[in-house]
Amino acid sequence: MKVATPHMGNAYIPLSALLSNLGAEVIIPPRPTRKSIDMGALHAPEFVCLPFKVNLGDNLRALEMGADTLAMVSGMWACRFGYYGRVQHKILKDVGFEFDSILLGRDGLLPVYNKFRDTASGNLTRAWVHAFRAFRAKSHAMDKFEKESRRVRPFERDRGSTSTALADSLALVHQAHTLKEIAAASDDGLAMFKEVEVEPGSHVPLQIAVLGEIYAVLEPALNFDIDRKLGEMGIMSYPVMSVYKWLTRPLKTDPSLIIDEKLARRIAKPYIAYVLGGEEHQTITGTIRAARKGYDGVIHLYPFTCMPENICRTILPSVEAKYDIPVLNLCLDEHASPTGIATRLEAFVDLLNQRRKR
Amino acid sequence: MLEGVGAEVVLSEPTGAALLEAGVRHCVDDICVPVKLYYGHVMDLMGRCDTLFISRLVSVEKAENDTYTCPKLIGLPDMIKSSLEDLPPLLEFTVDIQKRSLKSSMKRVGAALGAPAKVVRQALAEALLVQDSYEVELLRGLAPEVAMKRVLGNGNGNGNGSKKEPERKTAPPPTGRGDVHIGLVGHEYLIHDYFISHNLPSRLERLGASVTYMTQVPAADIERELSRYPGISWTYEKELLGAASHFLGRKDIDGVMLVEGFACGPDSIIGEIITREVITDDSPPLTTLVLDEHTGEAGVATRVEAFVDLIRRARRKS
Repeated sequence: MKVATPHMGNAYIPLSALLSNLGAEVIIPPRPTRKSIDMGALHAPEFVCLPFKVNLGDNLRALEMGADTLAMVSGMWACRFGYYGRVQHKILKDVGFEFDSILLGRDGLLPVYNKFRDTASGNLTRAWVHAFRAFRAKSHAMDKFEKESRRVRPFERDRGSTSTALADSLALVHQAHTLKEIAAASDDGLAMFKEVEVEPGSHVPLQIAVLGEIYAVLEPALNFDIDRKLGEMGIMSYPVMSVYKWLTRPLKTDPSLIIDEKLARRIAKPYIAYVLGGEEHQTITGTIRAARKGYDGVIHLYPFTCMPENICRTILPSVEAKYDIPVLNLCLDEHASPTGIATRLEAFVDLLNQRRKR
Repeated sequence: MLEGVGAEVVLSEPTGAALLEAGVRHCVDDICVPVKLYYGHVMDLMGRCDTLFISRLVSVEKAENDTYTCPKLIGLPDMIKSSLEDLPPLLEFTVDIQKRSLKSSMKRVGAALGAPAKVVRQALAEALLVQDSYEVELLRGLAPEVAMKRVLGNGNGNGNGSKKEPERKTAPPPTGRGDVHIGLVGHEYLIHDYFISHNLPSRLERLGASVTYMTQVPAADIERELSRYPGISWTYEKELLGAASHFLGRKDIDGVMLVEGFACGPDSIIGEIITREVITDDSPPLTTLVLDEHTGEAGVATRVEAFVDLIRRARRKS
C-alpha cells in the first residue's frame, strides 16, 4: 500500500512515521508550489477556499508519483474542511486516477484500523501502539525545533543559517526510525540551533502574533513563509496555532490543549457567541491575548472566501480598537503575489516601529 | 407573530442599487453576496425602527448528527454588532433546533417584547398556522413574495414601511404552458431577490419556459433523494442537493439551473457534489449560474437564452 496525504507544514514528518510503522509505504509529494496550486485550481470548484486547491494539487502530484491510497480527515462540520476528502477524491477519480481512499472520521475508526491488517507486521494492535508513539515523539520534536527556530532567527548573524539548522534537524528526525533514534535525533537537532551564530542581543525585537485560518498560518507555501520572513526582519513571531497542536488536539491526549480550547472559547464569547467550526475563537482570543501580553501587533491570515475567518475579519476591527493593538489582515489566494505580501508586511512593520517610538 | 404580540413591523425595501451599494460599503470585501445584501437591508432599516429584529440560524433541523445552517448565518448577528455603528437595540432571534424547539425560541422573542404569556401563546399559534398556509402556497408554486402577500397581505416591501410600489416585476406563478420545463435550484434569497438574480424566473418564462421552484418539491421527496447522499450537515444545502437530485431524475424536467452565490462556502462544495455524484447519463442538462454584485444583466440573459436554446435544439435533433 502506497499512502499519501496532502501537506500541512511539517506534518508529513509525524504522519509518515505513523503510516510507515503500520507497514505502508509513504509517498510524500513535493512541498506545494505555485505549480501544484495551479494544478489543483484547474480541477477544483471555482470559488472553493484555497486550501482545497492546494490539497488537491498535492494529491494529484502524489498520484503521479505512484500513490495508490489517499488519506484525509473528514467529518460533518460547519466548515468546508470536513468535505475536502469526499469531494477531492471524487474529482481525482473523475480525472481518471484509480486509488483507494481512507476518510478518517467519515468511515469510522474501525475500518481505518483494519485497513492496515495486511500491511502491518506482527500484531496489529501493537503496530498501532508503536506507530502512535513514534507519531507523538516526532511531532514533539518537530514542535520543539519550530519553536527554537523562531526564538533564534531574529538574532542570527548570517541570514538563513537558522532555516538551514531547522531543515537539517527536521531531516534528522524524519530519518529516525526507532523511538530511541527519535529521542537522539531530537537532542542532536536542538544542538544544531546552538551552533547558529547570533548577534549579541542589542535590539529588542518587535513581537507579532500570527493567527487566523490554521492552514494559512501553518503552510509556508500559502503564506510565503511568513515565519521565516518575519524572523529575518528581526521580528519575534508567535503563531497562535502549531502543527503539533493541530495533530494532537483531536486525539485528546494532552489536557492542556483541551483547557486552552475551552478558555479560548470563553474569552471570545462576547464577540462570537456560537461555534462556527473553524479557528475563530483562537483568532479573537489570540488577538486579545496578544494585546494583554504587550505584543506590538497581530497578523491575521486567511484564505479567500474562508467562512469562519471572514466573520473574524469583520469582527477584528472592533477588538483592535478596544484593545489598542494593530492588526494586519492578509487575504491569501492563488493570485496573491509574494511582492504584494512583502510590501504590506514591510509597511506594517514600519508602522509598528513608529508606534513603539511614540 | 410580531404583530400578534403588539409590535409594529417595518420591513426593509426590496433590494435596489443603493441598498446593495450600502451593503457592500459596510461589509468586508470577500464575503458572499447574501451577507452584503443583508447588510444593505440592515442599513435600509436604520433610523426607521426602534428595535432591529435579527435572526441567528444555528440549526434548523433536528437530526441525529450535528446540523448547521452555515457559519455566516450563525455568526451574522456577531458581525452586524461588531461592524455597524449607531445600531438600534437588537432583538435577537436564535434558532438552534438541536438544543431548543422553535416554539420555545419564538416565545422568548414574544417575552422579550414584553407581551404577557397568554398573548404570546396565542400569537404563536396563529403564526404557526400562517406559516403552514404559506408553505402550502409555496408547494403550489407561488414565489415567496406572492405567497406572503396572499397569507399576510404584506409581501416584502408592500407592507407598512413601504412608500411606493416596487417598480420591479415579480415572478408570476408558473403557468406550465411553456414548452421547456426548467427546475430552478438555489437559495431563495438569491433566486427570489430579483435585483440580484436579474429577474431570473420571469426571464425564463418570457423565453417560453415554465419554471418549477425547488420549494415545489415536497419534503418527503427531498428526504428520499437525500438518503442516497448521506453525510452532509448543512441543512439548506441538503435541500439544494435533494431538490437537484429530484429534478435530475424527473422525466418531465428538460433542464436544471443551479443558482449559486459567489463566495458561498457550502454552495461551492454542494455544487461539486451535484455535478459529480448526482448527474447520470440520463439526466437532463444542468447549468450553473453564479451570481454576485458585479453580475451583469446581459451575462445572465445570454446564459439563460443559450440554455433554453440548447434544450430546444437537442429536442429537435432527437
